[in-house]
Amino acid sequence: MSEKEKEPMFSAKIWKLLTSPFNQNNPITVQILGICSALAVTAKLKPAFVMALSVTIVTACSSFIISLIRKSIPSRIRIIVQLVVVAALVILVDQVLKAFVYDVSKQLSVFVGLIITNCIIMGRIEAFALGNKPWASFVDGAGNGLGYGMILIILGFFRELLGAGTLWGYQVIPDSWYVANGGFYSNNGLMLLPPMALICVGIIIWIQRSRNKSLIEK
Amino acid sequence: MENILNIFIRSIFIDNMVFAFFFGMCSFIAVSKSVKTAMGLGIAVTFVMLVTVPLNWLLNEYVLSGGALSWISPELKSVDLSFLSFIIFIAVIASLVQLVEMVVEKFAPALYNQLGIFLPLIAVNCAILGGSLFMQERGYANIGEATAFGLGSGIGWWLAIIMMAAIREKIAYSNVPPALKGAGITFILTGLMGIAFMTFLGIQL
Amino acid sequence: MNKNSNTYIIGYSAVMVIVVAAVLSFASLSLQSRQNDNVRIEKMNDILRSIGEGEGADSAPDKAKYVKEEYDKYIVESYAVNTKGEKVEGVDAFNLLINLKAEYDKPEADRVLPVFVSRSDEGVIHYILPVWGAGLWGPIWGYIALDVDWNTIYGVVFDHKSETPGLGAEITMAEFRDQFKEKKIYEESSMVAISVLKGVGASAGNIHAVDAISGGTITSRGVETMLKDCLTDYSAYMNKERAALSAPVAAQTDESEIPADSLTINK
Repeated sequence: MSEKEKEPMFSAKIWKLLTSPFNQNNPITVQILGICSALAVTAKLKPAFVMALSVTIVTACSSFIISLIRKSIPSRIRIIVQLVVVAALVILVDQVLKAFVYDVSKQLSVFVGLIITNCIIMGRIEAFALGNKPWASFVDGAGNGLGYGMILIILGFFRELLGAGTLWGYQVIPDSWYVANGGFYSNNGLMLLPPMALICVGIIIWIQRSRNKSLIEK
Repeated sequence: MENILNIFIRSIFIDNMVFAFFFGMCSFIAVSKSVKTAMGLGIAVTFVMLVTVPLNWLLNEYVLSGGALSWISPELKSVDLSFLSFIIFIAVIASLVQLVEMVVEKFAPALYNQLGIFLPLIAVNCAILGGSLFMQERGYANIGEATAFGLGSGIGWWLAIIMMAAIREKIAYSNVPPALKGAGITFILTGLMGIAFMTFLGIQL
Repeated sequence: MNKNSNTYIIGYSAVMVIVVAAVLSFASLSLQSRQNDNVRIEKMNDILRSIGEGEGADSAPDKAKYVKEEYDKYIVESYAVNTKGEKVEGVDAFNLLINLKAEYDKPEADRVLPVFVSRSDEGVIHYILPVWGAGLWGPIWGYIALDVDWNTIYGVVFDHKSETPGLGAEITMAEFRDQFKEKKIYEESSMVAISVLKGVGASAGNIHAVDAISGGTITSRGVETMLKDCLTDYSAYMNKERAALSAPVAAQTDESEIPADSLTINK
């Protein structure tokens, strides 16, 4: 914390914090963090989107708050303090969702609560926010949340499109294509089942690492 | 009694924490490289779930849910603290994990050396918090059901991670496409195992 | 100051707990009425949908206002009955509905269950019974609208907490729900509810059955069990009403004769 010079709001360093999670540092496909529960809500695009947004807000805000109070936290109860801050933010998000987007909050059910134990959040707090300034921590949290959300949205998009023929609840595959109406197409119900989310993540990892050889594990 | 057995079997096979809900995936993927370590983490998770789910059930029943405080005095009937449940549950889990860690370290140092490194990981294992939240959401009627659910879910998770570790020990010698090595193939394997577990859905309990 | 002294840690925790509790309580209290409203509006809308009204809720500019107005317009009465078939006085049916699960957690003899009565624009009366059961992953629930004969189904609505989208979750879709229309829940004088049969067209010509959802077997079975269990709880009351219908003149000599299909409601 010795550097005194004022950084611009979006210096190259800050910008990198925001963008690197989208590709070579993606929380899901590269860091393998926070896969946990959030995948369960990717059967449809809308809940996936709300979940992505919620995770981003919680990650960014908790990094920001922890970074603000980082010098005062006693190291012995560090984990508890972090959990309390994260849990409080998640409760706020949950209450707001219940009040303003009730039908989505019903679909997310317990998975909102599980944001608390999402490893990305604790991971970013431990790895970054405890040693960096609030603004940088906020951007780092937001970047990771967005990188995470991007995968959720990709999954939600393909699973809903291929599994139910809809997007955001609207029918996009023409009705006349369906076998029932004399067409050739039927929805792949398998896409909607939980295991397909994992297989899809596997495929995303495959594509990403084929293009970016430096990420390949030995 | 029948109901309790039912919940127990269901939570191991049908509502398996890993395959049906992806709970605890982070440690599932990180720690499933060898059967031995997977075993250690599996035991630790099962134990913590067995204790935290019934404990949180008691808290939920007598402190948190709407009207739960009426056993103190009828005037408190309208108090609904359920918005605090996330924070209370996670606090119970974190402090229990801490407690278990201290007890094990003091009385069974050998076990501590095996388990020790996993214990702090458990506090942020979604399977544990997920267990408590599902317990609350599904509204189990008594502590017996909640215990059966906690134990069954823990065993289900344990079973899953051991199976995964066994497969990964073998697959280390296989010719996996380079880009899929490690995480990629693990995801796909978990998905395939999940599909296999879906056959249990046909069991009528 | 020593950050790891016990005094500091205790003080720190105390301040943290107070701040967090204050923030959360404030948020919870200020959003609570809105949340409760959401729950009520949703239930009202489901009741309306079971009689084919309130379809414009999602496109209405103010959903809450629209649903409340429609509800006040069509739902003319609500009351509570117990499983012995008696009306229970002094209970608000809508509050019962919100805590329906609590009623089904009680032993059968203690349950008090709500009944809603609707009157359409043409003055046709329907009785709406809420039902509650378990699907594959979590609870499922619904509303059954019956004609005045307490036998023919006029319409149904189902909803669920967490059934598989595209499979079990299809119980909310019109294709599944429409099958229930015109089906009968009574065979002669015994309540048989509605069976959900596996296989396409399995229920053709059967007035007590509908087709299950392919791929959603367990949820479909859950619907069947839910209908059977819940309608059984109402059956004592329904039997009473049906008996009164078949002998209306003897039972209600002091009132003018009431044709079965245009019962008026004594509010």
